[in-house]
Amino acid sequence: MTAPGKSGGRPLAAITVTDLHVDLGGVAILEGVNVEVRHGEITALIGPNGAGKTTLLLAILGIVPYRGQIKFNGGQAQPRIGYVPQTLDFDRGMPATVMDFLCMGHQRRPLWISQAKGQKQRARDTLALTMADHLEKRRLGNLSGGELQRVLLARALMEGPDIILLDEPASAVDRSGEELFMKLIKKLNQEKKIAILMVSHDLTMVTRLARQVICLNRVVLSEGKTADVVNEKTLSACFGADKGILLHDHGWDGEVSCAYDEAGHEHASAKDGDAK
Amino acid sequence: MSGLYELMSSLLPFAWAEPMFMKRALIAVLLVAPACAAMGVMVVNFRMAFFSDAISHSAFTGVALGVLFGIDPLYTLIGFGVLVGLAIVSVRQRSTLSVDTVIGVFFSFAVALGIVIISARKSLTRDLQTYLYGDVLSVTGHEIIGMLILLIVCAAFLALFFNDLFLIGINERLAKAHGINVRFLEYAYALLLSLVVTVSIRVIGLLLVTAMLVVPAAAGRNLARSVRSMFWASIIIGLVSAVSGLISSFYFDSATGATIILCAAALFLMSQVWAAVRGQ
Repeated sequence: MTAPGKSGGRPLAAITVTDLHVDLGGVAILEGVNVEVRHGEITALIGPNGAGKTTLLLAILGIVPYRGQIKFNGGQAQPRIGYVPQTLDFDRGMPATVMDFLCMGHQRRPLWISQAKGQKQRARDTLALTMADHLEKRRLGNLSGGELQRVLLARALMEGPDIILLDEPASAVDRSGEELFMKLIKKLNQEKKIAILMVSHDLTMVTRLARQVICLNRVVLSEGKTADVVNEKTLSACFGADKGILLHDHGWDGEVSCAYDEAGHEHASAKDGDAK
Repeated sequence: MSGLYELMSSLLPFAWAEPMFMKRALIAVLLVAPACAAMGVMVVNFRMAFFSDAISHSAFTGVALGVLFGIDPLYTLIGFGVLVGLAIVSVRQRSTLSVDTVIGVFFSFAVALGIVIISARKSLTRDLQTYLYGDVLSVTGHEIIGMLILLIVCAAFLALFFNDLFLIGINERLAKAHGINVRFLEYAYALLLSLVVTVSIRVIGLLLVTAMLVVPAAAGRNLARSVRSMFWASIIIGLVSAVSGLISSFYFDSATGATIILCAAALFLMSQVWAAVRGQ
């Protein structure tokens, strides 16, 4: 893992996106996007549906074609990137176990011969990191949303990543699963100093985890420290003034907890002092 | 190959194994069944049975074109099947249409073209019979060598790319993020699956060849607790179905391909009961 350096008191950039344009099917999805994700920081990417958040992640992964420049570690070294997709759309009756899934793509030996001993140990170690070691022999299709997210996070960690990209990590997770996932992300960020770029609709998660927030809607509308970006004015500009954004200050070391729902209903807000 | 036949005569002192055509048929099914079952694991897990059906039904046109142009229909059947398989993948990758729709279009085209040619040349109907129901009892030594090569290619391909293909099936983006060349593997898998389907038509018949891929793998899936156990259970069920079907067809004087599929279906039913009892 690359040790994060510092420049002028702030960590060095892990990802620098400059003048990024993505067109898909003749439609401009991203236009002139400039963002920076720094080592050791959690950066949240927020914006309405169709804003291009996932597309930005895919461009960083090199999966979608783009114009512009994406540099890693200031162009000095190729990073190892771990990716946690929003969901896995697969046949849930297939007999693949969690261990099968973690070995896929990490071992050359075909799974129909056996799981490689070294890979199994590596998978067990990362499952333990994400508090999912008891899931090793379970079928992938039998996992709950929260369990699956922790397995996906373990898979991302198996890459030994400098950077982790999370796409809507809490979208299919219940409240307790979300709490556990947030704790894990925070712990990984603090202990391993991994740069994390997280797409999220959940502003509670954003305010509790992210140090930096990028507000995106085809172009970058706002970028900065969480408390500076997550406010009614910026969010109204980003999501639209009619979207029912409620913000309350719980007074946790100045952190803002908020509730947002596109239908205008109040969303669960942070209830404990974990954000301290 | 005569040494092999002599060895079979001494190892299998049974009435059904005496005729030379049964010896050749036994070797053919022992080569085709594991190839079908192994490729069937992906077909079942990633819902590709319709793709396999499209390839097998393109045999109508493949055979018709062969007879029309005076080429051995076996070659045109394989060539046309591979062409249809690659065309489906190519269009799917470039289109926003669902995979079912793309396959449906090619399926209809391939069958319609075949029927038009056959209906215009009535004499072709006789040639088509062999391919509709399969005719493993008339399989030649050359065809057996072709089947052996195909089995070796399948084993090599699945040894190299099985894990990557499985990951693509679970999540394409995850596979791409992992650096897997998804486009190449989709083409390569479609090519190999088309070859397995078209070569197996000679044994099982175009109407039932998809069942040879799907039924053993579905039964294997019912019994399995992991990817590895599904793979081997499918192959064992494929082999047991093929051998028991071949022997049964000898004594019942029935179509071998269909009898093999009936045996596979019986094993599937047993596996289904097992899965229900186990509470899956």
